[in-house]
Amino acid sequence: MGLRLPGIRRGGGAGEERLVFSDVETVPRRRLTLVLGLAVGLATVPLVMLYLLLVLSSFADRMLSGPDIFSARYSLENWRLLFEGRLEPAAGQLYTARDLAVIVLNTLLVAAGVTVIVVLTSVMAGYAFSRMRFRGRRRLMEFIILLHAFPGVALIIAVYAIYVWSLGLVPREAVTGYRFLYTILARAALEIPMSIWLMKGFFDRIPWEVEWSAMIDGASRLRVWWQIVLPQVKPGIAALAIFAFLAGWEDLIYVHVFLYTGGIKTLATFIEEVVGNIETAYLPIAAAAGTLYLLPTIVFFVATQKLLLQAMGGGVKG
Amino acid sequence: MPKPRPSPAAFFLLPALLLVAVFYIVPLVLSIYISFTPLENWNLHRYLGELTSYNYERLAYMILHDPDVGKVVRTTIVFVATTLAVNVLGGLALALSTFLMEERVSLPYRVLWMLPRMTPIAVYSLMWYYFFLGDKSGTLNSILLSLGVMDKPLSWGTDPGLLPYSAWVILVIVNGFVGVSFGMVVFYSALRSIPREHLIAARVDGASTWQLVRYVLVPQLRWHLVYVTVWQLLSLVTTYAHIFLLVEWGAVDKWWGSTWALYVFNTAFTTSDQGLAAAAATILVVIGAALGVVALRVLGFHRMMQEPRGDL
Repeated sequence: MGLRLPGIRRGGGAGEERLVFSDVETVPRRRLTLVLGLAVGLATVPLVMLYLLLVLSSFADRMLSGPDIFSARYSLENWRLLFEGRLEPAAGQLYTARDLAVIVLNTLLVAAGVTVIVVLTSVMAGYAFSRMRFRGRRRLMEFIILLHAFPGVALIIAVYAIYVWSLGLVPREAVTGYRFLYTILARAALEIPMSIWLMKGFFDRIPWEVEWSAMIDGASRLRVWWQIVLPQVKPGIAALAIFAFLAGWEDLIYVHVFLYTGGIKTLATFIEEVVGNIETAYLPIAAAAGTLYLLPTIVFFVATQKLLLQAMGGGVKG
Repeated sequence: MPKPRPSPAAFFLLPALLLVAVFYIVPLVLSIYISFTPLENWNLHRYLGELTSYNYERLAYMILHDPDVGKVVRTTIVFVATTLAVNVLGGLALALSTFLMEERVSLPYRVLWMLPRMTPIAVYSLMWYYFFLGDKSGTLNSILLSLGVMDKPLSWGTDPGLLPYSAWVILVIVNGFVGVSFGMVVFYSALRSIPREHLIAARVDGASTWQLVRYVLVPQLRWHLVYVTVWQLLSLVTTYAHIFLLVEWGAVDKWWGSTWALYVFNTAFTTSDQGLAAAAATILVVIGAALGVVALRVLGFHRMMQEPRGDL
């Protein structure tokens, strides 16, 4: 039995391990699981409650606050109102019509744009850092780490000033497109430092003999990169793409500063506005909008949590 | 062997460096420049020509004499210190307990605790806004009322009788729930990479679970503890997104609920005083850069900068 020691899967279930070591219990143990499970469960109560209340309220006739969830009436009314863009029923007949489809599309556009920019630039730069020798490589890598630690808020004033200045140069009919482009590039830039490091980590892990021999055979660096290296880091690119998409999808500050000022709404600024009109706000609709906004990220995350947790933890080597 | 083309690295680095130049370097220089101009209302044409140190004088005066700015400074210090402790220790506790649990209990917990990080900030703010809402429909009020702990609802974030502590507690809770997952993920993956033999050896020698944690597991996390602490410190000094809406919606007191970073943002975008905001931002830049350089040294990031492989 001792011979099988190195072969034990780390992630193996408790049952399996017990079969192997009938006399040596490592971790986990059943009683410990119970105690710790209860303790962590207790700490998790507020978290679960918040999400439950949000989702339930989106179907209820009023905001639910906890003890009253059984007395509320549930229907699809809020969702219907949301999809019809009728958001302020409390204000009598004064419905402000808003097109939900446009709001969702705007949000998607920012998220997709950020994804494309981040993936493209960091996959290229990560490869260069992992595989190429050039002057100032080390300095540049340190510098990029420093950028990640850099206060984004300190930049946004100047980034906005550049935006105000450059907006004057853009032809009138292209202004909306330019607003989106600028938001996407500025938001993507925030993700770049960490993404480069993430991709470098993935490139570092693949053996280079194959690309080396392809290059000996006369393939160009670009071709080797595209045809041989990239297919091997697909999981890394997937993780990176999901992170970037979520960053663009959830963004509040940049869409607030660059798009909202131009009258372009995303789900984030939409919720900001609905709740902000507190006198007329009908919170269950905000809950429905919030649930709609939350849905893709939860689905995405639950479906890919292994990949994402790996990528997050793997970026750090002790 | 074909001669490598002139500096292929430049080609691969160009797009990233271009973005870095436009959105980090230029704004950094510009921001410091703006802090020395009397810029107002984004009127770049009118104000960018003058140079003055007036913003810094005003800022220094306000920190010393304006009670509101004084509140922001105190809030920032308390917020950063407390949330840092919550994030690091909470992350460690979560990582250790999920590590010591059976997988089928541990996995759902780990996923659950990642939720706040994966939740769009506007939704996350909405949930907490409603949780701490001041009337009887707010979750916290409603629970306490029905338990009979209080007899009338409290405005948690703004009640003068509870300030500043209630505002601080709200900030720490709201950011803490997002922050702990970072430590959890890093510590957990570090724990998983500890060779199983170490644990078996300790168990064979009769170590209790507590001794296992104290003498085997935690000592191996030393580097990760430093890493998470430094990293979270850097983030906490400059984040404000998660409390931006809570302050905007009036869920917490405008001054006791604002950190320095949020103060910078609000000064720039809700008042018209961009010169002052840039000066306040420059202070953050100096602190951030200093902390960043210290972080590089302390963490020894050079260890992660192995020589490139596969070069011809």
